[in-house]
Amino acid sequence: MLEIRNLHVKLEEEGKQIIKGLDLTINAGEVHAIMGPNGSGKSTLSYVLAGRPGYEVADGSISYKGEDLLEMEADERAAAGVFLAFQYPIEIPGVATMQFLKVALNSQRKARGEGELSTPDFMRLVREKADKLNVTQDMLKRPVNVGFSGGEKKRAEILQMAVLEPSLCVLDETDSGLDIDALRVVADGVNALRSPDRAMLVITHYQRLLDYIVPDKVHVMSAGKIVKSGGKELALELEKEGYAAYAA
Amino acid sequence: MSVTLMKTPAETAFACAFDAQGPLASVRKSAFQQFAETGLPHWRMEDWKWTDLRQIISKALPPAAGTHAGAKVIDAIVAAAPFAGVANGRLVFVDGQYDAGRSALPAGVEFATLADAGSDRLVAGSTDPIAALNLAFMSDGAVLTFKAGSNIDAPIELMFVTTGAAAASYATRNVIVLEEGASATVIETHIGGEGEYLHNAVTQIHVGENARLDRVKVQEEGLDGIHLSNAEVHLAASAHFKDFTLTMGGRATRQQGFLTFEGEGTESHVSGAYLLTGKQHCDTRLVIDHAVPHCTSRELFKCVMDEAARGVFQGKAIVRRDAQKTDGNQSSHALLLSDEAEFDAKPELEIYADDVVCGHGATSGDLDENHLFYLKARGIPEQTAKSMLIAAFAAEAFDDVESDAIREVLTGLAEGWLDRRKGA
Repeated sequence: MLEIRNLHVKLEEEGKQIIKGLDLTINAGEVHAIMGPNGSGKSTLSYVLAGRPGYEVADGSISYKGEDLLEMEADERAAAGVFLAFQYPIEIPGVATMQFLKVALNSQRKARGEGELSTPDFMRLVREKADKLNVTQDMLKRPVNVGFSGGEKKRAEILQMAVLEPSLCVLDETDSGLDIDALRVVADGVNALRSPDRAMLVITHYQRLLDYIVPDKVHVMSAGKIVKSGGKELALELEKEGYAAYAA
Repeated sequence: MSVTLMKTPAETAFACAFDAQGPLASVRKSAFQQFAETGLPHWRMEDWKWTDLRQIISKALPPAAGTHAGAKVIDAIVAAAPFAGVANGRLVFVDGQYDAGRSALPAGVEFATLADAGSDRLVAGSTDPIAALNLAFMSDGAVLTFKAGSNIDAPIELMFVTTGAAAASYATRNVIVLEEGASATVIETHIGGEGEYLHNAVTQIHVGENARLDRVKVQEEGLDGIHLSNAEVHLAASAHFKDFTLTMGGRATRQQGFLTFEGEGTESHVSGAYLLTGKQHCDTRLVIDHAVPHCTSRELFKCVMDEAARGVFQGKAIVRRDAQKTDGNQSSHALLLSDEAEFDAKPELEIYADDVVCGHGATSGDLDENHLFYLKARGIPEQTAKSMLIAAFAAEAFDDVESDAIREVLTGLAEGWLDRRKGA
C-alpha cells in the first residue's frame, strides 16, 4: 500500500535536513509503529505523507497504491484514502464540526466519483460512530475542535477517521495528552478500524499506546531514518532500554 | 459664503442645481451653506484622509429625483433583492422617489413619505458635510413611527433602488421613531443597477425609553455606484439598539454612524461585514457618544478584501465627564485575500470620565495556513476550504443579528459572493 524509498526531506525555509534516507514498506492489513526520540523526524514524516506545505522532498519517492503520492495535493491524498490524525488538532473558529465533516466526506466521495450522502444519512452515520467514541452531541455542535480538551480533540480525530474510512491511517502521537481511560477509548476506536484492506502507521514516543494498538512491526527512527526494525517485542525493549543506543 | 471653495465638476453641479424653494426652503438653504463651507470632503480633512470624495466623485452627478428607467429594469433589480419572504412589509424608493405600487406595509406602523410629511420639525441638522448635502437635496424617504408599546415582530424593509439609468445623484432620508417601549426590526436594502451614480442616504433614528430597534442594512449598490450614508441615532434611557451592515456593493462607500446615548442603562451593538473585491472601497466611520452614565456599547467589524479592494474602519468612542460606568469596546478585523488588498483601522478613545471600561482592538491578516491545511487534509479542495474559512470569518459579525431568517439571508449573500469569487 505504501512504499517509501530513500526519502530525504528538508524544511523549505531553513533548508534544514530532517529526514535523511528513509525506507519503509507497509502492506494492506498491517499496522506499523514508528518510535523514536523527539526530533528524530517522526512528525515530519507524517506531515510529508499528508502533504503539508513547508517541506521539500529533496530525494526519494513515496508510492501509495502504486501512485506517486508526492504529485498529489493534500486534498487529493485524502480523497485517495490517506488520513493523518494530528498530534495537535487545529481549532477552526466559525466552522461547525458537522458541516466540516459533511463537506469533507462529500468532497472525498465526489472526488472518487461516488454520490453525495444525504443529510439524514450523514447524520445517522456520524451519530452512530460518535456514540462509540464518547463524542457528545454538544461537541458536534461546536466549531471544529474549539474549546475541546486534549482528550476530546483526539477522540474527534478518530471520529473523523471512522467517518471518512481511509485506507492508510497515520496516527501522529495520538496518545499524547491522554489519560488511561481516554487512551482506551481512542485505541478501541482505532482497533475497530483494523481491516485487511487498511494499513496503519502509528507514530509514538512511548510504548504504552502499543499495549492497546498492537502493531505487526515496530521501527525505530533516529536522526531522520529508520535504524532498526522488528516485531512488537522491539517496543518493549525500547521501553526498558530507552533511545540512548540510537542517539544521533 | 465661501462657495469659491466649490471647484470640482461635481461640486459645481451641486451649486448650479441648488434651488431653495418649497416648504423646507430655509432648512435646505442653511444645509447647503454648511456644505458649501467645506465642499466635498477630501484627504486633507482628518476624518476623510482615506476617502477623498473630490477624487472619488470625479464627474458631475447632478441631483435628481424620479427615474428614467423602464418598469422591466426596475422589476429585475427588485427581483434580485435578497429579503423577499423575510420582510413583512416593504417600502420601495426608486431613484429617490417613493414607489407606491411596489410597496406594502402591515397594519400598526405609522408611515408617511418624507415628501408628504416633510416639515423641518422632522429633520435634524448635523455637522457632517455629507449629511448637510443630503439635507439640501433630499427628495424622499420613509418616516416610520412605531407607537408606544407596539411590537412589530416581522422585519419591515426599506428598499432603495438606484437604477443607474442616469448619471445623477440621489438623496434619500428616513426618519425612524420608536416610541416608549416599542420594538421593531427594520431592514434597509440598497440595491443598484449598472451605470455611474451617487446615492446619499441618511437615516435618523430615535429609540425611546425601553424601546428596542434591530436595524440591518445590506448594501448592494451597482459596481459603478457611490454610496454615502449617515445614520444619526439617538438613544433614550434603557433603549436597545442593534445595527448590522453588510457591504458588498458600490465602487466606493463611506458610511457613518453617529450614536448618542441620551439616557442611562442603554445598550448598543453596531456590527458589520465587508465583502469587497476588484477596486471597491469601503470606509466606515462610527462616533459613539457616551454622554450619560451606565451605558454599554459594542462595535465589531469583520472586513474581507480581495484583489485590490480597500477597507477602512474608523471607530471613535467619546466618554464624557459624567458618563461613569461606561462599558465600551470596539474591534475591527480584516482578512486580506490578496497582496494588493489593503485595510486601515483607526480606533480612537476620548475619555473624560475616570470609572469606565473601554477597549479597542484591530487585526489584519490573511487566511491561516494551518486552518487551510487541516481542511485540505480531510479532503476538502483548496477553493472550498478557503470559502469555508472566509465565511467563518465574516459569520462572527452575522452572529450579532438576532433574527434567524435575516441571518440566513446574510449567509446566503456571503455564499453567493464566495461562489462568484471561486468561479472567477
